[in-house]
Amino acid sequence: MLDHLDLDDRVAIVTGGGTGLGREMVLALAGAGAAVVAAGRREGPITDVARLAAASGARALAIPTDVTDSHRVDRLMARTIDELGKVDVLVNNAGMVRDQGGAPIWDIDDQEWHRVLDANLTGAFYCSRAVAKHMSGRGEGKIINISSGFGLRGGRDNYMYACAKGALVQLTRTLATSLGRYGVTSNCLVPGLFPTEGVNASRETLPSGDLIPIGRTGRPQEIGPAIVLLASSASDYMNGATFAIDGGALAGGYAPTGHAPLVPLDMEHDGGA
Amino acid sequence: MAARSGWDLTGRIALVTGDRRGWTPHFAAALAEAGADVALAGHAGSDVHDAARSVRAAGREALVIESVLTGSEDVDRVVAEVTARFDRIDILVNNARVDFGKPLVETTDAEWDAVMRLNVRSTFLLCRAVGRHMLAQGGGRVINIASGLAERGLVNSAAACAAQGAVKQLTAALGLEWARDNVRVNGIGAGWLSAETPAEEAGRELLVRFIPSKRRGRPSDLCGLLVYLSSDASDFVTGQMVYVDGGAMAHA
Repeated sequence: MLDHLDLDDRVAIVTGGGTGLGREMVLALAGAGAAVVAAGRREGPITDVARLAAASGARALAIPTDVTDSHRVDRLMARTIDELGKVDVLVNNAGMVRDQGGAPIWDIDDQEWHRVLDANLTGAFYCSRAVAKHMSGRGEGKIINISSGFGLRGGRDNYMYACAKGALVQLTRTLATSLGRYGVTSNCLVPGLFPTEGVNASRETLPSGDLIPIGRTGRPQEIGPAIVLLASSASDYMNGATFAIDGGALAGGYAPTGHAPLVPLDMEHDGGA
Repeated sequence: MAARSGWDLTGRIALVTGDRRGWTPHFAAALAEAGADVALAGHAGSDVHDAARSVRAAGREALVIESVLTGSEDVDRVVAEVTARFDRIDILVNNARVDFGKPLVETTDAEWDAVMRLNVRSTFLLCRAVGRHMLAQGGGRVINIASGLAERGLVNSAAACAAQGAVKQLTAALGLEWARDNVRVNGIGAGWLSAETPAEEAGRELLVRFIPSKRRGRPSDLCGLLVYLSSDASDFVTGQMVYVDGGAMAHA
């Protein structure tokens, strides 16, 4: 069974691959044998992670890309196919870290709305569009979208982030329903709270692991096996699925953690049966 | 390969429940190939003996315990036999279930009770008995095998849907209840799987048109996820139902 996790001869692109969880995804895919492309806006971090991946023996490219620019997205795909021959796996990970406080709806201007929607949603659409025909023509491919717990639940004052991340779940389902017949599967991973440099930078205080059911935050390297599973042939019949890697946060909710009512059963109600 | 190290189940003990559907040998073989020794529990006419052969073929130890899995004394005996032989239980796979389809107004008390007993009560009993053990030993993994009926309704399937929904919520609630005890509880929602050969499927292909991936699944399609959820690689995942259904759930 574990042989199915091998990604030898596979080519994977990770957007937002230079930092945070994206960096762990690149390294995990490379570790499983894939040739990897780290795409991201800033050249420094993607070059760094590509160098690390190459040091482990993988073919690795760093391709500077702003996913909100569809021409640059098309160039990312063209260059990947040119240099590595194909695209087997696309991980739509690029996005903005959730703004710490968000903003009351009356303070959000048009430009801000579009800016965050573009970064978190439109980029994933552009990238999926750019690989869809290539993957469908080859009769295989894996698209992995990275959503968030805020894509499934509301977040106070987090309008754009929650809407964009929720839309990624629907993008996943629509890709799954549309491209499944061509052998292309699409799934969505929902990471919970992982302390990465991006999260640290945007927050004054990191929430304690106490608010998470299992009692700790995620370790960035824990995203790796889930990505490898979804990128590999071991998940060929998974399509349109969304699941969380969040320490149990979405199974209940942050608020009820520690709320453990003991309520005696009214046996008389049962008529003594 | 480094990427696989967290998936290794060497030295782990799994208990997998079986039924007549023929999926158990695939699941047991996958766990065994990842390194686990596997105990199989199910009634005499179930696929547990086939499953044991698949475990031994993978070079691991197998133990078969015949049980109908619906009474607490019987389930406690199963757990006692597994721990007597292997000392521990690291992985519980609640796979056994019965399928049932009938209009609700024609469903008898006995049929309703049997579906609940075989699909819900036995899962509760196994979770409780093995859960006590896992809490005492400091951790474990529970994987409940359910289906899309945990989420979607279906005509002539009220009892089956109610039972699957119960398993889904049992999974979420136990995932939280045991979250701080290093016991992870997750579920796999299987799509329309077939352990049969394609020839036997002929004539039933109409439904395939409505599955985005355009084919029925095989039990082996669940094995990658099963090993993931059984291993250390999924330590940050709990209370989740993950569907493996070729896109059926994503479809309208």
